[in-house]
Amino acid sequence: MKIVVFVSQTLDTEARVAVSSSGDSVATDDVKWILNPYDEFAVEEAIQTKEKLGGEVIVVSAGPARGIDAIRQALAMGADSGVHIKDDGFAETDNYTIAKIVASEIKKIDGVDFVLTGMKIIDDESVQVGIQLAEELGLPHVSLVSKVVEVDASKLVCQKEIDGGSVVVEVPLPALITCPDAMNEPRYASLPNIMKAKKKPVNEVTLDDIDFDTLGISRDAVGKSGSKVTTVKIEVPVIDRKLKIIKGSDDTTVKGEEIAQAVQELVQLLRDDAKVL
Amino acid sequence: MSNEIWVIADMKMDGSIRKVSFEALSEAKRSMQSKIGGPLCAVLMGSGVADKAEALGKYGAEKVYVVDNAHLKDFNPDGYVKALSELVAKHQPHIVLAGNTSFTEDYIPRVAARTGSGLAMEAIDMGLTDDNRLTVKRYSHSSKAISEIEFKAGNTMMATIRPNTYKEEESPVSPEVINEQVDISDADIKVKVVNLETKMSDRPELTEAERVVAGGRGLGSEENFKYIYDLADVLSAAAGATRAAVDAGYCPYDMQVGQTGKAVSPTLYFAVAISGAVQHFSGMGTSKVIVSINKDPETPIFAKSDYAICGDLFEVLPVLSEELKKALAE
Ligand SMILES: Cc1cc2nc3c(=O)[nH]c(=O)nc-3n(C[C@H](O)[C@H](O)[C@H](O)COP(=O)(O)OP(=O)(O)OC[C@H]3O[C@@H](n4cnc5c(N)ncnc54)[C@H](O)[C@@H]3O)c2cc1C
Ligand SMILES: Nc1ncnc2c1ncn2[C@@H]1O[C@H](COP(=O)(O)O)[C@@H](O)[C@H]1O
Repeated sequence: MKIVVFVSQTLDTEARVAVSSSGDSVATDDVKWILNPYDEFAVEEAIQTKEKLGGEVIVVSAGPARGIDAIRQALAMGADSGVHIKDDGFAETDNYTIAKIVASEIKKIDGVDFVLTGMKIIDDESVQVGIQLAEELGLPHVSLVSKVVEVDASKLVCQKEIDGGSVVVEVPLPALITCPDAMNEPRYASLPNIMKAKKKPVNEVTLDDIDFDTLGISRDAVGKSGSKVTTVKIEVPVIDRKLKIIKGSDDTTVKGEEIAQAVQELVQLLRDDAKVL
Repeated sequence: MSNEIWVIADMKMDGSIRKVSFEALSEAKRSMQSKIGGPLCAVLMGSGVADKAEALGKYGAEKVYVVDNAHLKDFNPDGYVKALSELVAKHQPHIVLAGNTSFTEDYIPRVAARTGSGLAMEAIDMGLTDDNRLTVKRYSHSSKAISEIEFKAGNTMMATIRPNTYKEEESPVSPEVINEQVDISDADIKVKVVNLETKMSDRPELTEAERVVAGGRGLGSEENFKYIYDLADVLSAAAGATRAAVDAGYCPYDMQVGQTGKAVSPTLYFAVAISGAVQHFSGMGTSKVIVSINKDPETPIFAKSDYAICGDLFEVLPVLSEELKKALAE
């Protein structure tokens, strides 16, 4: 089974997020770059599938030079080889253009059976590239897969969550799925495996290697000026809340009779101050 | 490009139209239509849906494009991608809006790709430039940033909208119904539904609810979630949860609020035994009033709340449910 996982490197959003001096992007001076958390679930699922059915896992990522770290992490988890489409201009590029470029490298590989992506990137959160990759590759897709029920050489049965329920679907392979968290437990890469990952093959590709004519787009499509939508401004929202915290007399939890008082005070605040009752 | 604005009618399991579709129609009517000049249109896709056109007219849809096709009976993206893509290619609408739901997330990006449209997901604000290009504000970076996005001219502009962002407002017209034939065959439907489980609940749906009561890991068990449901029922609220609670099996996945789960924007949000991780906050930070109940005086959620009680939920919630019942009866 030939399995492809698309991964991206993302800014660690657990940390503080600040606006850059240009005002239209997020500052990246002192940030930590990580493998997109949702992509970790995709990599784990790919490796588990390989362990069950045999075959190989290929990781593909488009991004600047530092993006190699995300690929190496996936290799350390157990993927076999990588493709790194290296360019600094992807940040403001149209989602479908990114999908076209990364897909073009997969079209060169014969006999891909199963393709996985994360459900979204936690920095830009565009929530588009995964499904658009399926479109570009001409594959059916199942998004937000919560559990792979069964997979063999010819088909995939999986559960996905929908508003108001859940559904089990069957799709013939090759197909693409997008992965949320909690579908599996991503493994930690052990030190020996991190060392081994450094020797696994990564094919480095530049935009010069991309056949834009076949993709039906021009090279100028890469970057801000070629995008159908552009970010013109970034703001950091301030959390502006009333912060009326009712605590007990010892400055911790309310106890005993304080509970009824606290509840009455809260209800009164909701009625008269917030006016939401 | 025509000067039509389209709103996709998104449907629930029971076949009713989601409130967010009416919110989108209302907002398009209020702040876009007179500038762009064309008719406000709705797109109704599904199986046996033709009778719903009137409901869309109630919120200002002057034209309703209907694709009624047996292959659209399940919420299956393949048929919807084909139907909407063909309609967009044929009519070239100026703007296409839809509610952001797990179903539109599943097929709209593919339609944008196929039709060469620009797309921004989950708008929390929209506007138009002087030359009538769409602008959208949306959260990014785990809701720690808001990006303002501008569309370029020359392509259809598509956006999905976070539910509960805009007020729905009736402005009834009798819509012109246009039946569209889209050829969808068995071969187009690659993803086959094997089993569909719907959870019909008496409580309002999470993304639509005016009030939400959500519980976290501190609830400790599935049985204890009764505390959450009791308070929710007193408030006629929807019930939500954190991933920690869902992972522990205390409640079903479709209650999960957050970066992976649903984004909610109610008037009143109760966070019970929830610590307020970014991944949770990013799904409820736009709630108008946030109330938290937590026994840890240092919990991060307090700094993100309007009102809070520092206390044990098992002691506080029963009293709170009773008091609220009384207050609401007055
Ligand atoms: C990629 C990714 C995606 C994620 N997506 C989501 C998502 O969509 N939604 C989400 O919620 N999380 C998500 N998470 C998980 C998130 O990071 C947190 O782990 C999670 O939100 C914590 O849930 P919690 O607040 O219930 O649990 P905890 O952080 O353990 O907090 C429990 C709280 O309960 C309080 N408590 C305990 N007992 C009591 C009591 N008796 N009375 C009162 N208070 C009590 C404690 O003081 C504590 O504050 C995601 C994480 C990752 C990595
Ligand atoms: N530059 C990229 N290179 C490889 N895969 C990507 C890239 N951008 C996005 N993806 C994949 O698409 C998924 C969804 O991303 P997004 O639509 O940008 O939120 C990610 O989780 C990745 O699996």
